[in-house]
Amino acid sequence: MVSLHYEVDNTVLKTTEPVTLWRTEKGTVEIGENTLAVPIKLDDQRKGYIFHGHGKLLLDTIVETQEGAVGKPVESELNELFLMLGNAEEIQQRLSTATKEDLTKMRHETEQGFIDKAKDLLDNFIGKKVIHNHEHSGNDHGVIFAFPNEKGKLDVLIAKGSKLVYKAINQVFISNNDKVILKTPTEMIVSSENRKSLVIKKHACHCC
Amino acid sequence: MVKVKLSEDLKEEMKKLREEIAKLKEQLGEVTEREHEKRHGIYIDVGNHIRDHVEDVMESVTEGIQGELEKSIFIGPGGVRITRKRETPEEEGEAELDFPKAAEVMSALGQEHRLKILKELVSGGKYINELQEKLSEITTSTLSSHLKVLEEAGLVVQEKMRGRYLITIPGRTAYKMATRITRFLERGDQEWYHYTMK
Repeated sequence: MVSLHYEVDNTVLKTTEPVTLWRTEKGTVEIGENTLAVPIKLDDQRKGYIFHGHGKLLLDTIVETQEGAVGKPVESELNELFLMLGNAEEIQQRLSTATKEDLTKMRHETEQGFIDKAKDLLDNFIGKKVIHNHEHSGNDHGVIFAFPNEKGKLDVLIAKGSKLVYKAINQVFISNNDKVILKTPTEMIVSSENRKSLVIKKHACHCC
Repeated sequence: MVKVKLSEDLKEEMKKLREEIAKLKEQLGEVTEREHEKRHGIYIDVGNHIRDHVEDVMESVTEGIQGELEKSIFIGPGGVRITRKRETPEEEGEAELDFPKAAEVMSALGQEHRLKILKELVSGGKYINELQEKLSEITTSTLSSHLKVLEEAGLVVQEKMRGRYLITIPGRTAYKMATRITRFLERGDQEWYHYTMK
């Protein structure tokens, strides 16, 4: 077991071009040019970033069953700070040092002000604890996103290859190729190959 | 010598018979138990190879619906079925129909091309060009606006990444109902009456 301690770097950067942070046939996370970025380090190695700029999250949290589709796509603007662990090296080449003007555009008076907010987000994500498991390091092409939501908590997206877990205020979506589980406040759907599924509503349940 | 030999043979024979009887009793017990369970509606035989999978599914299902269902669970070779008592009209919320929403859904259904679109989607998700091929009498822009109406009514959903259009459970139900109502009105088909009244 390895003790891991993530920390926010003191360097504020910005994207030099629009960047697709993650993309599969189920969804995408994209950020625009001039998005602020502060690196998340682990033993002096960049393992991720906290971003603040203009971006978007698209996620097809839809389950196909033999009785019809359930769920709606998630489509949200990313205008607040959010965190990403993994995929750090590719992005590094598309970053340059941010200027005071770049910070002002995103309503940050000082560099330290932005860094403090980034630290708060990282603390919120890891619960102010040291992580004791190398699986959380975001290696092996897996990627983790944490987006603050209106309830002051974090919506979390974990993706690795075709496997995907998305946990938000009103839904949990787990997908591995054709196998999908969707849980909303009113229903839960378990679906496997050939759209065979089990649909459980608050007051009823059936297989199809 | 002969006497001893006979006795040993007999003992061996008796042992075999006892084993046979024990086996038969065991089998008879199993059958009786199974028949008893069948009569009381709790017959469970899903086979070893899928039992673990079913147990996993049921565990998560139970957690998800704990305390929410008055249920009877039937597990058989064909799958898992959970039923509950039929709700009274009051419970079903018939008195609380959302009239604007109902009107929106009916309005979305009230157009021949939109019903044709739903029919095409019943067989599976389709891209707009696939729908265009099937419904060549509709122009692309009209097709898009029809899809938008169906989407707003919750009868169709579009995948944002792949762009496919999928019919939703309410969409499929609405299409089925439209079919049954039409059949009933045209032919006086009693099936629809029984379907809705049961």
